[in-house]
Amino acid sequence: MKEFEEKREDLINALMDGELSPADAELLKAEASDDLELARAIIEAYQLQQAMDGIRVERAPDSLRKRLRAIPGENRRKPAFSLLQPRWAMSLAAIPLVIIAVSLMRPDTPSASEIAQARHEMAIAFTYLDKAGVITGRKIESNVGQTIADAVTYSVDRAIESQSLSSKEKEA
Amino acid sequence: MSRKYRQWVKEYQDQAWTVARYILKDAQEAEDATQEAFVKLWDNQDDIDPKRVRAWLMKVTRNGCLDRLRRRKDNVEFDESYMTADDSGPMQGVANSETGEWLKRAIGSLKEPYRSLVVLRDVNQHSYEEVATMLELNLAQVKTYLHRARKQLREQLAEVRP
Repeated sequence: MKEFEEKREDLINALMDGELSPADAELLKAEASDDLELARAIIEAYQLQQAMDGIRVERAPDSLRKRLRAIPGENRRKPAFSLLQPRWAMSLAAIPLVIIAVSLMRPDTPSASEIAQARHEMAIAFTYLDKAGVITGRKIESNVGQTIADAVTYSVDRAIESQSLSSKEKEA
Repeated sequence: MSRKYRQWVKEYQDQAWTVARYILKDAQEAEDATQEAFVKLWDNQDDIDPKRVRAWLMKVTRNGCLDRLRRRKDNVEFDESYMTADDSGPMQGVANSETGEWLKRAIGSLKEPYRSLVVLRDVNQHSYEEVATMLELNLAQVKTYLHRARKQLREQLAEVRP
């Protein structure tokens, strides 16, 4: 029953909307001549359509027209890209935070195996330094001593030689 | 001012206002809702297909109005008292000159989405396809709901006609 009514409504509305073919329109009118209820529904639909014709789109009030014209001035459009835009400012501000977070996440206490390894390497290094220190000390001692000896020997020779020349000059 | 925005205002302000006026039944609130819709249009004008601006704007206007109705917890259901309490009720009948005003109020008293369907299709004269887009319904749903709304209106009209 409901399906029948909806189909009938579809036909009436198609007639009103001008979507019914001429043949179907004639068929519906012929059916209405035998069906008082259908005839009344079609007449009422025409009456509603006539009433609808009298209530077309309403003119927007002047106050609204003024408000709509003012929108571009009151609402500056956002630029496509700007460092001052919140999303970019947030992204830039996040960079140092990420660096800090990563550095905080890194372990700052060495493990036991790392400490043992370091101690072992330090022991080797100190041993080397001890040996190197002894050798270097001997070299310094011998080098310094020779230099001093050379210096003294050279000075005495120069003094004797100079004294000898002076005596010869006086005799002449 | 953007030339295309100015053109859209010129072409669609009355239609958007009519939708808001019917749904909200309050002039001041309808103005606010229409303005909000046009602010959204201004903000999104580069993202909207120019061919679909009208449908987009009517949809945004309607959705904004429905949000306002929900916020104020308005009774969107058919107001039974409207028909009997008013002077132009069924027992009084209405003169032809008053039919238009009566019909406006009758449309305003329909449930959603019937009210929006009648306003968009029969008052604003949008195509069925456009109305389907605006209300996010398929074509068959639009026709079925609109036919129900029209039937309800014509039966009421038949009652009040002298």
